[in-house]
Amino acid sequence: MTGPSRNAAGATLRFTFDGKTYFARPGDTLAAALLANGVALVGRSFKYHRPRGIMTAGIEEPNALVTVGEGGRREPNTRATDLFVYDGLVARSQNRWPNLSFDLGAVFSLAAPMLPAGFYYKTFFGSAKRWMFYEYFIRKAAGLGNAPTEADPDRFSHRAAFCDVLVVGAGPAGLQAALEHAEAGKRVILAEQDAVLGASLIRDPQELDSAWVEATATRIRAAGGRILTRTTASGYWEHDLVTLTERLAEPGAKPAHGLAQRLWHVRAGQVILATGSIERPIAFAHNDRPGVMLSQAARTYVRRFGVLPGKRVVVATNNDDAYLTAAALRDAGADIVAILDARPDLSAAATAAQAAGHPVLTNAVPLSVDGARHCLTKVTAKVDGQTQSWPADLIAVSGGFTPVVHLHMQAGGTLDWNEAAQAFVPKAARQNVTTIGGAANPQPVHPVVPVGNPKKSFIDFQNDVSLADVDLAWAEGYRSVEHLKRYTTLGMATDQGKLSNMAALGRLAEKQGVSIPEAGLTTFRPPYTPVSMGLIAGASGKNAGAHMRRIALHDVHTQKNPIWQPLGYWFRPRAYPQGQETLAQAALREARAVRTGVGMTDVSTLAKFEVSGPDAAAFLDIICATTVSKLAVGRGRYTFMLREDGIVFDDGTVWRLAEDRFLLTSSTGGADRMATHISYVRQYLCPQLRVSAVTVQEHYAGIAIAGPKAKAAMDALIGADAPRHMSTLPATIAGIPVLVLAASYSGERAFEVYVEASHAAPVWAACEAEVTAQGGCLYGLEAMEFLRIEKGHVVVGGEVDGRMTPADLALDKMLNKAGGYIGATGLSRPALSEPGRRQFVGLEAIEGTIPEGAMLVSAEGQSPQGHVSAAAFRIMDGGSIALAQLTDGFSRYGEELIASSPTRGQKARVRVVHPHFYDAAGERYRD
Amino acid sequence: MTDVTITPLPAAPLHVFEIWSNPSAVAKRFSAAMGYDLPATGRSGGTEALRLIRFEPTVWLVEGDVAPLPAILGDDGAITAIGGGIVRVRLSGADWRSLLMESGVFNAEDPAFAAGCSASTVIDHVNVRLHVVSDDVCDAYVPLSYATALLHFWEEASHGLVPTHR
Amino acid sequence: MMQITCPHCGPRSQSEFVYGRTVDSVVALDAPADQAMTALFTRTNPRGPDDEIWRHTYGCRAWIVITRHRVTNEITATRAVGSEALP
Repeated sequence: MTGPSRNAAGATLRFTFDGKTYFARPGDTLAAALLANGVALVGRSFKYHRPRGIMTAGIEEPNALVTVGEGGRREPNTRATDLFVYDGLVARSQNRWPNLSFDLGAVFSLAAPMLPAGFYYKTFFGSAKRWMFYEYFIRKAAGLGNAPTEADPDRFSHRAAFCDVLVVGAGPAGLQAALEHAEAGKRVILAEQDAVLGASLIRDPQELDSAWVEATATRIRAAGGRILTRTTASGYWEHDLVTLTERLAEPGAKPAHGLAQRLWHVRAGQVILATGSIERPIAFAHNDRPGVMLSQAARTYVRRFGVLPGKRVVVATNNDDAYLTAAALRDAGADIVAILDARPDLSAAATAAQAAGHPVLTNAVPLSVDGARHCLTKVTAKVDGQTQSWPADLIAVSGGFTPVVHLHMQAGGTLDWNEAAQAFVPKAARQNVTTIGGAANPQPVHPVVPVGNPKKSFIDFQNDVSLADVDLAWAEGYRSVEHLKRYTTLGMATDQGKLSNMAALGRLAEKQGVSIPEAGLTTFRPPYTPVSMGLIAGASGKNAGAHMRRIALHDVHTQKNPIWQPLGYWFRPRAYPQGQETLAQAALREARAVRTGVGMTDVSTLAKFEVSGPDAAAFLDIICATTVSKLAVGRGRYTFMLREDGIVFDDGTVWRLAEDRFLLTSSTGGADRMATHISYVRQYLCPQLRVSAVTVQEHYAGIAIAGPKAKAAMDALIGADAPRHMSTLPATIAGIPVLVLAASYSGERAFEVYVEASHAAPVWAACEAEVTAQGGCLYGLEAMEFLRIEKGHVVVGGEVDGRMTPADLALDKMLNKAGGYIGATGLSRPALSEPGRRQFVGLEAIEGTIPEGAMLVSAEGQSPQGHVSAAAFRIMDGGSIALAQLTDGFSRYGEELIASSPTRGQKARVRVVHPHFYDAAGERYRD
Repeated sequence: MTDVTITPLPAAPLHVFEIWSNPSAVAKRFSAAMGYDLPATGRSGGTEALRLIRFEPTVWLVEGDVAPLPAILGDDGAITAIGGGIVRVRLSGADWRSLLMESGVFNAEDPAFAAGCSASTVIDHVNVRLHVVSDDVCDAYVPLSYATALLHFWEEASHGLVPTHR
Repeated sequence: MMQITCPHCGPRSQSEFVYGRTVDSVVALDAPADQAMTALFTRTNPRGPDDEIWRHTYGCRAWIVITRHRVTNEITATRAVGSEALP
């Protein structure tokens, strides 16, 4: 009998793997449970579909990747070594068809000579048609697991935390450090990625044992420390901020409270890294097969899980640690048939092992292994230059130890080369971080030169990269470690090169003829181990991050079944279809109601600022490019604002409510930008002004009533004479104080009623009753667009697109002639007055319907001279019209052009006209 | 078992009180008229009838009857109404601090952030202004347009909170 | 995610702030045209510390000046600007 095994006692957790039922002991990882049940074949490699087994006992596992869970909880590419079995766990192997034992993909192994590193780039040469053909097959064959398609039913949380000391790793060093700091009165957080504390102590108790671990943890908690298990420090960011990913349920399991994982954002006073080191493999031919395992992993399976990974064992090492594995395996009943020590002389540990009866060979390096799909059968080595073989079902390999320095590097630290350990260790730290324990002091090793066939000696197991691929990259001229990485893809799989980086560097250094530290290192980037996308999204996952903002009267509008429109972050009614109306029909009806009778709409989202104080007028003369200070009390006017470079960036209205009090409105979409701009000017550029500029965007709800009957409606609502156009009047509606502004966006006589949002509902109800009584209706954003386009009003984000000056928009006559406003100096730049600028014009269709966004050309195939920023129809008379930007448009009225949208296959013949299609003289505003 | 109750409070008047010149003189006038000092940054002060909470260097949030304030300000500042755009949410119970750590960046678990303290921060992309009323009660001032979304977030997040340590 | 010590609020997360511009790109209101445009469109862009203005938008809403090392993100100074404030 060969292969891994364990007696069945205590196995009470039921799980399935590839549909077959097995039992596990509580505390087993899936890997341990599979080995215990004699399952050694667990996957197929990425490119060549080679049979793969379990190589490690930790997060660095490259081969044993499974898909666990079902439906929306399914997690592909889960390492079986980092997954704790729970009752009902469902796991499946990946990257094989029809099954693991008989995988048709194995044919790629035969094609291996054609598929070395970089083969994919070479497919780009030659005809595109041919590439499209084999790309189809490559795409099907590529990848490991399949992503789930159902929505994740669980929640993810992001939580901030602050502490004095964050300790990463609960091995002996980390536990001790956490204890000392906690008992010294510091706020401590201790994070451990395993389900249990102790790390290396679980595998090698030494003088300390599980009682010490328990007692230490109890003392840490008693001193107020927070201990988190199943928690990985995934990234070290700026100013000692470390993110921790905490699993509250194992992959695929249903979590308590519906909360699957938590992302901690920890701001620490200092960080202590007790992250230990990861063992390295040795490269030899077929070193990727089931039955090839890292030495400390083999020991872990014996000591922690009671599993015997093999019965006839070869141990291959270049250091003393593997002798502990030989002893542990023999104690568990295995037959150690050979210990291959790459060192020329017997160390003390080797001598002791020999004295204990182990067959120790010096100058011995593994050459190759033979095996079937599921198991190893033979190990061949070079001993003093001679070839020797042994029948074996397990080879436990130790090529040295690589300190886990990822977080130290992410924090901006530097590395030192430890020649004795042939490893990089932390040198200078740039943030408040220290590394202790095994990560700072790796064991000494003897460098091993691989002797097996380079084509079959794998260094990156997950991406199927061999030593020969490194040699090939060199032969093809790739010299730097960055190019080596990307050309061969080594280090780029989900294990991020944890087992492969050093071997690759060693080979590269050899080729370059330099030492390993001189060959360089690629950058360590977060996350340290893979992180679920759901965790990164957190609570935002369900609504893509940004909350939708609701208007004060949202529920009132909902009663009327509008078509809702997301506008920036707001939801606003686009139209209120009646009966079976389409959007277009509803919008046209609503627009016509405004033109012929009266309509009512919600304008609450507009930016609004209440500006008060003796210097309020002077302040607004700085912000606005039109003259504000000359406004009489009770009057208002249109205004626009410039950037410092003279470009129009927003527009709105300004109203003088009192000598020293103004209301400024501006665009919804630019509200936050305008608030920032106003505060910048106020606080930074002119802090000496006596002015208060307060954002009241949400304090006031806004209702617009527009149409030839609007005045009659307003008169009735306020019980007084409604103000004349561009005047303001405080009033009451339904007993509630309101501010009435006579302004028009639609081109009809119109009023905007501003009321404190908490009292908006009764005012809305009163307005709606009056509008209905006048035979009018509600209108939404769509109708609003039709109305303003016909009137020729520019909109921020449309005609005002960040490139237009006031002159380009035909607004220059409104500029404050005294200057002194922001943008005045920018406007003086000669280029802004030169010919060849885009200018704001109107278009009417001669033939066809003008597509919004179309390019304006003189003839098909010519370069665009402008574009259509907004398209609509004449509301009463029909006919396609549009607003546009056109090069030198002001001198081209009457010219015929083509408005072309090739991507939509639409075009129209158009004539350039003035943009005011409706009531250019403003007659409609006069009572 | 997490212990936090989330209660939107009814709408109430809210103003901003801003000083743009002669702050020391205004402060003296205020103390003389009201019998207590204008609160420092990060603090609140006053009574049920009139409470001021300071989040900004030159601006105080004012709850209650602002009638006495314009005279105190004179030409050195202004009062502006903003209550319509704010929803006050009362968080009560032993776990209000750990609730505020969810999707937050501010250390609400700091014991120094205690009754009478104020802080403005961002929680789940929303600007939230906090005022600690007592050991077990903290009020959050939330923009009206985001209130529904934030209340929903808090309801969900209140299940499975990690309690505050120490 | 940096930590920025606001002169009014103390140490706070970068998420509460919005970057404004470098101090050397500030255009004074009364700056002559050529000076203004030079300030707007050129930067010293040092590979070292520089002065920047940020706004504590989600905090006290005040503009502050930060001296930040543009490679290491080390912040060596922060100071208040704006009109005189009470303590």
